[in-house]
Amino acid sequence: MPSISFVFDDLCRLVGKKLSEAELVSLLDKAKAELDSKLSAEITVKYNDTNQPYLWSVEGLARHMRASLGKEKGAARIALEKSSLQLSVDRSVESVRPFIACFVAKGPALSEYVLGQLIQMQEKLADNFGRKREKVAIGLFPAGKVSWPLAYRAVEPKSVAFVPLGMVKQLTLRETLERHPKGKEFGHLLADAKKYPVVFDAKGHVVTFPPVVNSEESGKLSAGDSEIACEVTGTDESAVNLVSSIFAFALADRGFKIHPVKIRYAKRIVQTPKVEPYDFRFDTAQVGALLGLELSEGQLRDLLGRAQYDYQGKGRVKCPAYRGDLMHAVDVVEDVAIMYGYESISPLPLTSFTVGGLRAGEGVISAVRDLWRGFGYQEVFSPVLSNKQLLYDKMQADDMGTVEVENVMSSTYSCIRSWIVPILMDVLSKNRHVEYPQRLMEEGLVARREKDNVWDARQVAAVSAHAQASFTEMRQHVEGVMRSLGLECSFKEMDEGCTKSSFIPGRAAFVFVKDACIGFVGEIHPAVLEKFGLQVPVVACELGLDSLLQ
Amino acid sequence: MAIDAKWKKLAQSLTKYERDVLPLLSEGKFVPIAELAKVTGLSELQVQRAVQWLENKSLAVHKELPFEVVSLEANGKRYQKESLPERRMLEVLDEKGIPLAKLAQKAGISSEEVNAALGLLRGRGAVALVKEKELRVKITERGVELRKAKFAEEVFFGKQDFPCKVQDVRPEYRKVVEDLRRRKNILRVERAVERSVALAPGAGDILQFVDADTIDAVSPQLLSSGGWKGKEFRRYDVSSGVPKVFGGKVQPYRAFLDSVRQKFVGLGFEEMTGPLVEQDFWNMDALYMPQFHSARDIHDAYYVREPKEAPLDPRLVRRVKDVHESGKGANSRGWGYVFDVKRTHRLLLRTQGTACSSRKLASPDLRIPGKYFGISRVFRHDVIDATHLPDFNQVEGIVVEEGLTFRHLIGLLRMFAKEFAGAEEVRLVPGYFPFTEPSVELYAKHPQLGWIELGGAGMFRPEVVMPLLGRAVPVCAWGLGIDRLGMFKLGFKDIRNLFSHDLQFLRDAKVV
Repeated sequence: MPSISFVFDDLCRLVGKKLSEAELVSLLDKAKAELDSKLSAEITVKYNDTNQPYLWSVEGLARHMRASLGKEKGAARIALEKSSLQLSVDRSVESVRPFIACFVAKGPALSEYVLGQLIQMQEKLADNFGRKREKVAIGLFPAGKVSWPLAYRAVEPKSVAFVPLGMVKQLTLRETLERHPKGKEFGHLLADAKKYPVVFDAKGHVVTFPPVVNSEESGKLSAGDSEIACEVTGTDESAVNLVSSIFAFALADRGFKIHPVKIRYAKRIVQTPKVEPYDFRFDTAQVGALLGLELSEGQLRDLLGRAQYDYQGKGRVKCPAYRGDLMHAVDVVEDVAIMYGYESISPLPLTSFTVGGLRAGEGVISAVRDLWRGFGYQEVFSPVLSNKQLLYDKMQADDMGTVEVENVMSSTYSCIRSWIVPILMDVLSKNRHVEYPQRLMEEGLVARREKDNVWDARQVAAVSAHAQASFTEMRQHVEGVMRSLGLECSFKEMDEGCTKSSFIPGRAAFVFVKDACIGFVGEIHPAVLEKFGLQVPVVACELGLDSLLQ
Repeated sequence: MAIDAKWKKLAQSLTKYERDVLPLLSEGKFVPIAELAKVTGLSELQVQRAVQWLENKSLAVHKELPFEVVSLEANGKRYQKESLPERRMLEVLDEKGIPLAKLAQKAGISSEEVNAALGLLRGRGAVALVKEKELRVKITERGVELRKAKFAEEVFFGKQDFPCKVQDVRPEYRKVVEDLRRRKNILRVERAVERSVALAPGAGDILQFVDADTIDAVSPQLLSSGGWKGKEFRRYDVSSGVPKVFGGKVQPYRAFLDSVRQKFVGLGFEEMTGPLVEQDFWNMDALYMPQFHSARDIHDAYYVREPKEAPLDPRLVRRVKDVHESGKGANSRGWGYVFDVKRTHRLLLRTQGTACSSRKLASPDLRIPGKYFGISRVFRHDVIDATHLPDFNQVEGIVVEEGLTFRHLIGLLRMFAKEFAGAEEVRLVPGYFPFTEPSVELYAKHPQLGWIELGGAGMFRPEVVMPLLGRAVPVCAWGLGIDRLGMFKLGFKDIRNLFSHDLQFLRDAKVV
């Protein structure tokens, strides 16, 4: 979730209103944002929608608030200056980083604060929207220090040298990736590239080496600068253009005049930034259908205006150029709902009759849980993530087909449990100081794998630990549970299988219902008890429930 | 009369041991426990317990008298059984004498014992030490005389049982005891106390009511013989404490989840389920989460090591791919990127319960109108602390019905807040989920805890509904943080308590 920090008074100045805390919170709600700090001179705001980068600057947020308050309704526009600035794009960048947008903003001298805000915006956009500069990277530099027109082309990594930002010596592009901190951080984005993209000025000086770092000599923006060039590169042209628009509108809100740049691609010429609102189809009937609200044309026009749309009538709106998040008419409908106010929408009850019901097999599952508890077993509920050391090593069992996690974070949670008895053994070992007898049961899911098949299984396991715990006791309980389900079961000595060594030989059995083996019961082997630090006999059982649910 | 009734009732509450002991007691005359044991035939321990109980009922008093106990040590036991070293020495000596150096061997005693016996016998004038070529020990006439009779020590050993009280030793042997105590490892004398018991002052009135025939236990034999007839039953002290026992109990969090499920059923919802091991497709792609979405990062979801993928219906994949890439089929612009078909087959541990909703929406058994809920175990790549577990529960659901609007969803959410959090007051805040539009977050004012985040909801986007269901039907989708609600309900501060492995905690936990 992106968050930005700024001076609260600056926001109020940009909004044109001294906001109370309640007003601030309500306006932030409408921007799907929340205050992430106390209300003080400087505040931090966190955004829940990762898809609205035009709000990730104090300027963009203030613009949204002005519209919400009705101070500045409709799609924002910028009157672009006449400009002859050009940037040519060489075909060599097509395989590396094919798209670029650029413009120059001229206005008041940059204060330290505004410069800081620009840099924050550059970072948030490149990190969150630009996917850590892979999709979009942004460079800001003083427009007056370079000779126009600029040229964007890809060159051999060792063929060009320049002084990267913050350094004193010239480095080749390759060396920059190896030695400069930004080179180390972002060099992987060029790992597969044979040639590296560079923006040169008319004299052939390196201005910037996207997406890595600007030049120290001509690419360093400072407080006091009043002519700012903004260059955006990336792999997705619409994202590149969107980010340049977002910057242009933010700077325009700060009183800068925007001078566009003609981008000369090999076969076409485009002008950036894109600032003209674009058309979006929108069916007014959808407001009623989706929201259940009946709005007059006037109300609709007002709400759309507050959401920064120009309502054209007949299901057409114009959207500001920096809105790249609109995919479907429902997106516009939501904006209408937000400006209407969720709190003002009166609720409607559901009216159709539907029959409720628990999942299939619930009757058997809840009966099994009841029956075990009736025999005096305390029910346990555990995480299903586990580890093979517990499931197999400590139990002296063989791997019975385990669903393992590839990107393990903690060795304790490296797979889904394949059986439940080890979990209950672990509970016994953690409760050695608690009064015996200890009888525990857990019903729940396990996951199993066989070659390319993976499935969940519903199982119940029980353990009984006390001085007289025996096979007979547990078999009595298993038979008691099964008999109450109307099932007769038979027992066959366990002399094979994954869990053979978990039990004392001759004191463990597979449980059969008709011809199907549904589980096992047995006295835990003392060697296993020793591994769990237990000095009391334990008898255990585990039964699969899936075949009983039909 | 009233006082007699009190004594009678008290008498009827006496256990057998108490009834045996009490009649032997009298006021002011303290009887030792050992003696009571001898008379009643009970063990001393049983008598002691009876006395303790009688004292608890203010029927007996006791005092403790100090005394000394004499017991035999290792040498003492041997000398009693075999013979004293001085006797052995005297037996082997004659007038010619034996070289001192050979005495130990001849008498079959240790050199230490030789020294002790020699000192003792010389003191009694029974032997003489003569220096010839070597030191020789000879018996004297007096020694020959003494040899004929038993020593006082031998008489004492023969008559006395050990251990015994010093005061029980006959006066003529008191000196013997003193002598033997000074010798090595023969006698030990220790201080001890003896408990003696007497009837408590004023308690004598109870004795007339003590009935030896009072019935302690009702047994099948007693019932079949009718032996209880005309007899009294011992009364219990029904107010005294008893040992704790622990029955088989429902786990408190499961009980809570069961109650939530019952509530949904009561509201007309049908329970849905889905697998723990999901695919990118159902977990995310079908929910219109773009494959580049940050929540799909390797740091947020657990991916399965092997197998990496599982098959899917290719027609369904095609529809979801189209809607991601171009919005085709949903009248949308789509996300505008190249959808990775291989990746959509990737297996992972379910990260959100909404995966069950996407499966339900594509399922042929979906009913319209239909209301569905599911409590799902989900997994997140989180560091464990008081509010985070890598594996926890979510309750999610959908309502599918023609004519459904956002206003119905808001009605549903207000009802949930009331039903599940007891909240009349809610806050509905615009939210963001890739699969819903409009999206809303629900906060509820909990009677005790103030504002809490209850969950999120929204209307499924056409990009979700069209590929899965094939036609445009409104779907309300919602999710509630059930673990958090459970913590509130059960009064837990730490989410780990929901899955507690602390048996005492589980045994003591409330189930209502």
